[in-house]
Amino acid sequence: MNDTKLLEVRNLKKYFTLRKFGRKSFVRAVDGVSFHIDRGEILGILGESGCGKSTLGLVLSRIEKETEGDIIFKNKKISGSLKLDKQTRRDIQIILQNPYDSFDPRLTIQDSLIVPLKIHGIGENTSDRREIILDYLHKAGFEPPSAFLKRYPHELSGGQLQRISVLRAMMLKPSFLIADECVSMLDLSVRASVINLLLDLTSMENTSMMFITHDISLGKFLSDRLAVIYLGKIVELGNAKEVSENPLHPYTKILISYSPSVFEKKEKIKPKEILSTTHQNIQRGCSFAPRCPFAKKECFEREPELFEVEKRHWVACLNYKK
Amino acid sequence: MNPILEIMNLTVRYKIKNKEIHAVEDISLLVNKEEFVGIVGESGSGKSTMAHAIVRLLPPNAYIKNGRVNLLGYDLINMSDEEVMKVRWKDFSIVFQKSMSALSPVHRIDDQMMEAIKLHNPQISQQEIESRLDKLLQMVNLPKRVLKSYPHELSGGMMQRVMIALALVNFPKFVIFDEATTALDVVTQGQIIEEVRQLVKELSLTGMVITHDIGVVNELCDKIAVMYAGKLVEYGPKSDIIHNPYHPYTKALISSLPDFIKERGEFAGIPGNLPDLSQLPKGCIFAPRCPLADEKCFEQVPSLLRNDDRQVACFKVKEVKT
Repeated sequence: MNDTKLLEVRNLKKYFTLRKFGRKSFVRAVDGVSFHIDRGEILGILGESGCGKSTLGLVLSRIEKETEGDIIFKNKKISGSLKLDKQTRRDIQIILQNPYDSFDPRLTIQDSLIVPLKIHGIGENTSDRREIILDYLHKAGFEPPSAFLKRYPHELSGGQLQRISVLRAMMLKPSFLIADECVSMLDLSVRASVINLLLDLTSMENTSMMFITHDISLGKFLSDRLAVIYLGKIVELGNAKEVSENPLHPYTKILISYSPSVFEKKEKIKPKEILSTTHQNIQRGCSFAPRCPFAKKECFEREPELFEVEKRHWVACLNYKK
Repeated sequence: MNPILEIMNLTVRYKIKNKEIHAVEDISLLVNKEEFVGIVGESGSGKSTMAHAIVRLLPPNAYIKNGRVNLLGYDLINMSDEEVMKVRWKDFSIVFQKSMSALSPVHRIDDQMMEAIKLHNPQISQQEIESRLDKLLQMVNLPKRVLKSYPHELSGGMMQRVMIALALVNFPKFVIFDEATTALDVVTQGQIIEEVRQLVKELSLTGMVITHDIGVVNELCDKIAVMYAGKLVEYGPKSDIIHNPYHPYTKALISSLPDFIKERGEFAGIPGNLPDLSQLPKGCIFAPRCPLADEKCFEQVPSLLRNDDRQVACFKVKEVKT
């Protein structure tokens, strides 16, 4: 493994067990994904709700344990157990969608921010740590920063609080940051402040980021590479611009042709079935086949593997020949 | 062309404790026959309040300060609740965002739809109702079994289709879509937009689409009205508003659309926050956040200026145009 790789994921699976009338069934939230992230790279994860993109984030941040597969972080295997050494814990941070849910409502901003610093031994004492927090608040455009220390989460707007959750993660100088739909509940006019802060801080520390989103246009200009997920599997992976402007997998094509845009549209590519299949009743073959307008007989029998169709552009579809 | 909807100087306020929230301030708007108008604004801009005021469904703590609403010849503001109930859902209806809470969880879909038909057509025969329900389901691409289902048995996209069918149950002439596709997946949303566009043609509907997604408005509407902090700041044909906005707020909003962003550094947004709607500032409501504001903007309120088919409320329009 060379040194530019920060994280490598091999055949990662996460199944949730369901019991209905004593019968066991599985929700295959993440179903055998493999990819890597380079140092300083931003990988966009694109998918609709329920495709398993958030579960992937939770498994990589070691909040959920995987069912199968390997996660290699900085040349060290971190899968197998949720127990991690402190340095690795510090090295992997996550930002969630709703900041009002990810802050303790009874703690002031200062109290919330000081805990991670204390745990990881950053700063000598409380006043030292407060200086660090003030410095970061200043960087994030909170003026005057001291006015925000004693505030509670509900006293801040969604955009402000989300900026603070970016700070909370980035204060620890992690080398891998997972941002799970971190601007999707924010208004258009305040999204920029969160995204710009995120980009500033991650590029300063050369932090790699996994940006989970359902918004194609956002994923396109933010990410270096883009992975499209459908029912727990990566169906397309490649350079962000390449994937969004020249999609190869039928699902990506449909997704892009259906996303509302301010530009005039070309002809829409229609899925065959209106309703999507769920994780439980996936049959043999390609999981997208029942909805795919280009599906052949073969697609219902054999599961396609991800392979390089064009240079550095991987697709899992039987319509493309090796 | 005769207007279907005529709003004149509509002002709606909420009473919360001792405060008066200026949710909708002095809005005037015309919607012509077979026209679809998109109301665009961020959260807190008063767009939903305005829609609910039009169909007389405001919560008890809201009241209409003044103004007139003339919809299909009905003087809605001065009608009694009983009179409104006779025509609401028959001549005009609304599709809500939260279909889960808008539908009764303990009644089957067909019972809920039948009630809405019977209420306004007491003489109708069972056969006629059934054929009408069949037709409606076909229009929104739902299988027949949906009729005998309860809401919890349906997916989000199916439920939203049920809501649309329910709004069209008496073939109204005017329909408001209040964030009707916001919570849905991209592909589902795209399909519903297509279906609605088809229905608009078939039933020669007039309507209003309330959303924060300019892409959705572009796909569905003819005109766009931009609201900011309870005020109408700009109104005109959609392509003019999107590709050649006049008002500084519209300009900033459009330029923070990821669609228009090519590079990571270009993401601008709008600095500052919404003003406190219980204490409106003197002068233009957008002045504190406006890059062009001068003394006059902080002193006087700009009125809506008309220029051909476009309207804009800004003293700086000449400068904005160039």
